[in-house]
Amino acid sequence: MTETDDYEHYEAVVVGCGPGGAAAAAALANNDVETLVLERGVDAGSKNVSGGLVYAEESSPYTIDDLFPDFREEATERPTTENYIHNVAGDQVASFDISSLHHHDSEWSDAVLRRKMDSWLAERVHEMTRETGGGLLTEVRVNGLLRENGEIVGVTTSELDPIKADLVVAADGVNSELARDAGLMDWEDPDEWFQGVKAVVEMDPEDINERFGIEEGEGHAHLFSGDLFDGVRGGGFLYTNEDSLSIGTVFHLDSLTEEEAEPHELLDNLLTHPLLAQWLGDDYEELEYSAKLVPDSKKAAHPSPHQDRLVLVGDAAGQMQAQGPIIKGMNHAVTAGALAAEAFVDAKARNDPHAAGDLYEQKLRDEGVMEKLRPRSYRTLGKLAEADPISKVTDAVADSAIGRAGVNLLGPGILERLFSSPRMMAVMPDTRTPYVTIPTIIAEELGERVDADNTVEPPELDDRIGDLTYDVGDPHIELVDNSFEASGTAVTACPVSAKDFGGGCYRDEHVKTNGSEEHLVSLDTQPCVECGTCAVVADTHWEHPDGGKGVEYKQG
Amino acid sequence: MVDIDPTEHEIAELGPEVNQIDDVDELEAMLALEEDGEDRQPVKTLIESRIETLEADDEAVDPETVDLTDLTIADIANLVRDVDDVDVLEDMLEREAGGNDRKGAKEQIENRIDSLEGSGDEEPTEVEYVPPEEKYPDLDHPTADKQYVEGVSGERYRDMWVYCETQQGELIDVAKEMLGKARELMDEYNSDSDAEGAYGGDEDGEPEDVVAVVIGSDVEDLAEEAVAYGADRVVYHDDERLERFRHKPYTEIYAHMCRDFEADWRDYHEPRYNVFPATNNGRDLSALVQGELDSGLASDCSDLYIENAMISNPAKTGTPGDSREFERVLHMPRPDFSGFEYSTILCIDKPHRDFHPQGASVIPGAFDLPEPNHDREGELVEHDLDLPEEWFQIEILEADQLDEGVDLTGNDVVVALGRGIGDDPTAGIELGVDLVDQFENADLGFSRGVLTASYQFAGHVEQYVNMERQIGESGQVVEPEVYIAAGISGAIQHKVGMDESETIIAINDDPDADIRDFSDYFIQGDLFEVLPRLTEAVEAGELSAVAQEASDD
Ligand SMILES: Cc1cc2nc3c(=O)[nH]c(=O)nc-3n(C[C@H](O)[C@H](O)[C@H](O)COP(=O)(O)OP(=O)(O)OC[C@H]3O[C@@H](n4cnc5c(N)ncnc54)[C@H](O)[C@@H]3O)c2cc1C
Ligand SMILES: Cc1cc2nc3c(=O)[nH]c(=O)nc-3n(C[C@H](O)[C@H](O)[C@H](O)COP(=O)(O)OP(=O)(O)OC[C@H]3O[C@@H](n4cnc5c(N)ncnc54)[C@H](O)[C@@H]3O)c2cc1C
Ligand code: SF4
Repeated sequence: MTETDDYEHYEAVVVGCGPGGAAAAAALANNDVETLVLERGVDAGSKNVSGGLVYAEESSPYTIDDLFPDFREEATERPTTENYIHNVAGDQVASFDISSLHHHDSEWSDAVLRRKMDSWLAERVHEMTRETGGGLLTEVRVNGLLRENGEIVGVTTSELDPIKADLVVAADGVNSELARDAGLMDWEDPDEWFQGVKAVVEMDPEDINERFGIEEGEGHAHLFSGDLFDGVRGGGFLYTNEDSLSIGTVFHLDSLTEEEAEPHELLDNLLTHPLLAQWLGDDYEELEYSAKLVPDSKKAAHPSPHQDRLVLVGDAAGQMQAQGPIIKGMNHAVTAGALAAEAFVDAKARNDPHAAGDLYEQKLRDEGVMEKLRPRSYRTLGKLAEADPISKVTDAVADSAIGRAGVNLLGPGILERLFSSPRMMAVMPDTRTPYVTIPTIIAEELGERVDADNTVEPPELDDRIGDLTYDVGDPHIELVDNSFEASGTAVTACPVSAKDFGGGCYRDEHVKTNGSEEHLVSLDTQPCVECGTCAVVADTHWEHPDGGKGVEYKQG
Repeated sequence: MVDIDPTEHEIAELGPEVNQIDDVDELEAMLALEEDGEDRQPVKTLIESRIETLEADDEAVDPETVDLTDLTIADIANLVRDVDDVDVLEDMLEREAGGNDRKGAKEQIENRIDSLEGSGDEEPTEVEYVPPEEKYPDLDHPTADKQYVEGVSGERYRDMWVYCETQQGELIDVAKEMLGKARELMDEYNSDSDAEGAYGGDEDGEPEDVVAVVIGSDVEDLAEEAVAYGADRVVYHDDERLERFRHKPYTEIYAHMCRDFEADWRDYHEPRYNVFPATNNGRDLSALVQGELDSGLASDCSDLYIENAMISNPAKTGTPGDSREFERVLHMPRPDFSGFEYSTILCIDKPHRDFHPQGASVIPGAFDLPEPNHDREGELVEHDLDLPEEWFQIEILEADQLDEGVDLTGNDVVVALGRGIGDDPTAGIELGVDLVDQFENADLGFSRGVLTASYQFAGHVEQYVNMERQIGESGQVVEPEVYIAAGISGAIQHKVGMDESETIIAINDDPDADIRDFSDYFIQGDLFEVLPRLTEAVEAGELSAVAQEASDD
């Protein structure tokens, strides 16, 4: 008898109670699988950020309301009834209605705030898993995989004794410590990630209805691209909630670091653009500033996201699809979570519960999930266009007189259709061309001047930090190399740090020692919002804070 | 013929080796070699005991064939526990009857048959009590020589006793919390209400008390305090040798108080309930005392309540198949699995063995800290017992108070430095210390920004750069008469640690720094120039003049 035989055992352990974990747990519980769910936040959702529109795809085998019937009534904000994209060049804006892209394959899509959504899900999950002899535990951080003879058999946590299970579902989101521990994902390459930053802005429901020209039960989704963002590849979004707006930006991390851009300033560029004056009015009240990395499934989705008894679902597996400006992570996490559960139930029925991983991989393929995440067409077309010489050429062509003439010739009608083509959007290469150059040209050639006076004064970074809630524990990030060369990028890329700001996580410092001066960075993790950026762009040893510690989002 | 010649090895090496050998012949040969050679007793014992173990294993007996006459009753007791086949047991019974025909042995086998078959429809029969020592004379009885391990039951128990731990001459909070809870429980217990925990007092209708126990040096005042927090009676033992918690004397005293102490009010066998704090010392003491009193203990409880309990375990009821209601049972819930599950522990008498006092240790903070009522009346009882010297064999040579660190509160003046010292951190600290030195009652503090920086400090100032000097939300909160903030921007998390100061003087080269909004004097300038001038001015007794001049910019 080995010592580990004494450890608590469950049929399934689900790590993380975001949409992926909640779906996996619900599907497991529906099949009477004894399931324990571990979530590090004080409450599910207290750590999570999304834009966010939850999509229910017609082609998907599971949607979130299949698993949680009252989801839309209880956990979401407004449904999106109208969708626009705005191409911006200075104060010239060309706006297109892209509802058809949004509605393509969508049964519905609703705006959500993650604190509310996830904590509602968590209550259901707890009720359901209790029935199986398990349950949901919050404030427990899983800090590694439990192995026996080199094989994964469970998890270790910072708060409890190790726990064994026949199935370990890593639904621990982006920067999954479990995926890293298993060697399935690494956090090395900035071009596999986006960084999302968001402000939730308080607004009376009456004002929302009036300013957007909608009624109760209706909502807007607006996307923004063009030269708003100092040449950084990415875009902005604005979604209407019941009594607030979610306004944010999503950028390619490699581009953000190359341009040494300050994410909070790029967000402010959007917030203060004249176009937004009509919606923001004169009484800007920011409830919460938040940020998180987002994997780019085209590059990061693991084709075989499992090992031994471990399966990865959702962001942990890189299953976050950027369909051009449309971001679909939550729906895929739900589908994957449910498929992983299905796979385990099948494997158990075949008397080989530990074979769930292979079945899961097969289901991801058979159900077409993998094709959405890593489209074959992107692998050929998109990648090619990203190769540098070619991307320079397309950029130059688009910006040339011929390109401009093309834009004019095509005219708004065709462009609108092009923007609304899901195929086009799926193969869009990750270069400046589609994100910056073309929208800018479109705006310049076809746009109209917006001359509204935007009076919004977004809060300074120190006030944004000051408004967040923290329960500070031990530092969870260790700076391995504090030279500016190795880790200096984090000073700008960290959403709560900035050049010449002493109150951020990362601060650059010139330190004199024995006559010579060194350029260093120092790190204080107290203001950290756990976005994961510095895990990729700086030389760190990066972990999540222990259960219940760190930032606590109230909106999410 | 042997792999290892013992005479060539040290005993320490031999231990693990010998225990790997499974061949008795080989071991015998080794034994012979050792006897002929070194003939070391420990080595021989080692080998012999290995041989014994192996032989015992070999004897792994088959209940169907074993000669029962070779076995003691204890052996049979052990053997039948693993037999699940009633036929085999019946056969054994026959063999025993045909052999030694020992009553005890047959009983063992019969009991096993009964427990396998269930007691069926038979009328429940009271199990005849035979003290364990008589029943199983061949088994070990580790408690047999303990005079206080009693087969008694049906004794009188009363009162809820609360151990009030002290630290540095004060009752610790959890002691007060427990007293508050005990008061609440016993008030209900003594009442005639309909509540489940209401019994209208003891079995004779007399109210039971909350008895506080205070042990230490110079503790009479604390005994009075215990009354204010809810005790009806405080038994205290005062001895300067008891200044610090010591296992032996504390355990002896506590056990004596609740078992042997003669006082007219203590007209009962032992306390009904004993409640301890689940602190380091409390955990030790609770286990020792409850062990000494031969009772049980539920450790780390998060709640307590008193209620009747319906129990069907025959070990407790004495009659298989019967349920019995036990009264006045202390229910002791404790978290099992990180608070996910709770178990409620009960400490219940057996028919022939008492499990009193019912004992619990309580997690600090589990109950609210009550308000003291200094008008409450209660009886103070000094416990007297000669404490023999041998209880104090362990001498405390040195005691170290865990570093409480730097305490910045209580200073008249605090000089705080921020990242404004970044251009020359060592010089910045020197300037800060110079200014501190001008005041009688002053100290140096920092913003967090400095403490988490990568600055290099020269050795002589490095001692100051210490998280303990951090002022603010995650550091200390200070309210001195004068707070001088040099090179600090005034972030909200810093502000909450100092903005109750009487007078705030800020030195900053940025006229828009947030700290300006909550400073009484704002000196715009380079701290490397301003600090020395301030120091001079204070030396000359002109602080306010300088501040005035500077802020009139
Ligand atoms: C700004 C922004 C905008 C976005 N917009 C959209 C959008 O409009 N639509 C959309 O579909 N998606 C959007 N996304 C992506 C979407 O949020 C994610 O894809 C989705 O949340 C992934 O779900 P998940 O369940 O895999 O992981 P998460 O939702 O990240 O859940 C992971 C959970 O695991 C917990 N956890 C992590 N580590 C541990 C550990 N070690 N131990 C215990 N618990 C742990 C976390 O606390 C968390 O609750 C956006 C993301 C961002 C940042
Ligand atoms: C959860 C949490 C808890 C925190 N807890 C604390 C806490 O307990 N205590 C705390 O202090 N902070 C705390 N912080 C950090 C806090 O937010 C600030 O980052 C910190 O206080 C900044 O320190 P600073 O004022 O020294 O540095 P900065 O903000 O960088 O300010 C330096 C100032 O010095 C001025 N300056 C520069 N050079 C000179 C010069 N030569 N002469 C004069 N002035 C000059 C600058 O103009 C600037 O105003 C916490 C943060 C978080 C998120
Ligand atoms: S310190 Fe790292 S993880 Fe924390 S907010 Fe900054 S970049 Fe994100």
